[in-house]
Amino acid sequence: MNFCKRAWLNVWAKKGRSILLILVSAAILMFVLAGLLIRSAAIKATDQAKADVGATVTLSANRQAAFKKMQSSSSSSSSKSSRPKMTLTPVKLSDATKIAALSNVGSYNVTSSTSVNAKSYDTVSTSTGMGSGNSGGPGGMKSTTSSGDTAITGVSATSLTSDFSDKQSKIVKGRGITTADKNTNHVVIEKDLASQNDLSVGDTIKVKETSGSKSTVSLKVVGIYKASSTSASSAGPMSTDPANTMYTSYTLANTFKGSKYQGTADSVVFNVTTPSKVSSVKTAGKKLINTSKYALSTDDSSYQTVKSSMASVESFANKIVWLVAIAGTIILALIVILMIRERRFEIGVLLSLGEARWKIVAQFFTEMVMVLVVALAIAGAGGKFVGNQLGSQLVSQTATTTQTTSSSSNQPGGGGQNGGQPSGQMGHGGPGSTSSSSTQQAKTKLAITVSAVDLAELGGFGLAITFLSIMIASGGILRLEPKKVLIS
Amino acid sequence: MLKTQDLGYWYQTANEPLFQNVNLTFDVGKSYAILGHSGTGKTTFLSLIAGLDKPKTGEILLEDRSLKQIGLTNYRRHDVAIVFQAYNLFTYMSPLDNLLTAMAITNAKHAGDKAYARQILKDLGIADDQLTRNVQHLSGGQQQRVAIARTMACDAQLVVADEPTGNLDEDNTRAVIAQFQKIAHEQHKCVIIVTHEPDVAAQCDHQFRLENKRFKQLA
Repeated sequence: MNFCKRAWLNVWAKKGRSILLILVSAAILMFVLAGLLIRSAAIKATDQAKADVGATVTLSANRQAAFKKMQSSSSSSSSKSSRPKMTLTPVKLSDATKIAALSNVGSYNVTSSTSVNAKSYDTVSTSTGMGSGNSGGPGGMKSTTSSGDTAITGVSATSLTSDFSDKQSKIVKGRGITTADKNTNHVVIEKDLASQNDLSVGDTIKVKETSGSKSTVSLKVVGIYKASSTSASSAGPMSTDPANTMYTSYTLANTFKGSKYQGTADSVVFNVTTPSKVSSVKTAGKKLINTSKYALSTDDSSYQTVKSSMASVESFANKIVWLVAIAGTIILALIVILMIRERRFEIGVLLSLGEARWKIVAQFFTEMVMVLVVALAIAGAGGKFVGNQLGSQLVSQTATTTQTTSSSSNQPGGGGQNGGQPSGQMGHGGPGSTSSSSTQQAKTKLAITVSAVDLAELGGFGLAITFLSIMIASGGILRLEPKKVLIS
Repeated sequence: MLKTQDLGYWYQTANEPLFQNVNLTFDVGKSYAILGHSGTGKTTFLSLIAGLDKPKTGEILLEDRSLKQIGLTNYRRHDVAIVFQAYNLFTYMSPLDNLLTAMAITNAKHAGDKAYARQILKDLGIADDQLTRNVQHLSGGQQQRVAIARTMACDAQLVVADEPTGNLDEDNTRAVIAQFQKIAHEQHKCVIIVTHEPDVAAQCDHQFRLENKRFKQLA
């Protein structure tokens, strides 16, 4: 092990050169570590997203099949007056119960949307110029069409809706709708509507049905919610103000729609406990329903958004790791080659003493390992900082790209999952109907920490880079003839 | 101890040999000088007997064993010690570390024995405070003495020196040659010195002159 002692003596004696080598190695390792940290943070973030984001499967009327049916009827009918209409079959709750029993399905939320007209209160008017034509409000003309001025969103429980779970909307007074509110006239109203009409929890309001008997129904306010300001802007020009949306039990919404809607829903959203199992839940669910009437659609967009965003960060981090590793190997190899050329005389003396060539190579390798240990410590301290800077820059860039893509696909007044709405349903975006992916983006931050595993991995990379550099440079040592060096 | 049999060497073609059919014998306990003008091939001859190169013709025998059989690396490690004109010390080490390193590489009997290495250096006039100082801080004469001490610390029976006094003044030259004589006579080693200085050669037990591609014994 004399070569180890020689290595130490050399590193110690040539401090200036050793410090320079340490700095170069530390710079290379710092970028390798930054890449490794970003990669591992991206993997962690993806795993976390898998656990946090969740995915849903939605049971709704099969619009595509209904459209095809309408088209075939249309082609067989020659008269313009008897043009067929697209008929959407409401979802049967009995089917929903069967799907809810499948494995990997956690909770589920029944949604039944409709609209009513305000009777004992004034709706909030939107002063954006467009889109307020069918909304009532102070001084406004009450709508007499089948589309009412107040949107009713019937749910199993407000907490199960994406608006509330994503904190786009939150209860500020009273409570939300729960499964216990089934078959009651309880309602949760928006804060602005409550303020405008001096309504508070416990008060009763009256609404007039827009279909059927058009009777007046009394509703008891059990809670007041606050819709986020962003949700108002997401509502389209033809939609009502989001403040005019009330949450009720889906049974009450069905009552407003008419007796034939009992035991049905516009859609049922099943929360899948393991997002990766979405496809299998969908496949199993399809076997339980009549697919000519109903459709099962999956929504793991949030998960996919985070996944693709993190995948791009991870891929970039991988590229950093490999590019820096390759560049580092080349740089170190060149330095070692120069160093070896400078030390030809010493190599000649060693060879003249009968030293084995591999031990000379081992001496250079040991010297570089000594340098590497110090460089590793420096890189460990600085890599976290570089990783944080680089990681946050990457995430913000990816988030901007994703949000741009997401916003371009969000059409104004998009009805979300309520594809099979019966007539009377308002085409509003609803509070918090913006894509949940943007919310998730905000949540997705890279938690960059330097662990022992990262340092071990970095050490492995460092050793590999050093080993390759020495191997490339040692060709000169293996070919060196002592006579040529020592005796000229 | 060391014999050359029909030894020959050339650089360009066999028609222009530096020397050929060299048959010499070197014994332990004696010192030999090889004289010659520049370019006659005396250093090349030394590189062959030092195991730094292979002869083109003939062979070198150590105790009747060919260097081919022994292997050049093994030969350099165990059987020969070389002193160069430019000292060829490890410049990043102290005199003491230079000796200890050489002893370790050659697996010398006293490998790792610091006291033994110190004593050799002291005997050659290296002061205590110079033992652990970097060799580059020593004078040329002192550095050459460290190089000689290195050959003494190793167990090699053959010591070859290439112009060992080339960079030294008169006093240091005398001291160094005296040291080589001591190695030959007291340590019973075979010392072969290549030199172009007749005064240096005159102090050796035997002298050869390389002239016209042949070695001629002078004394």
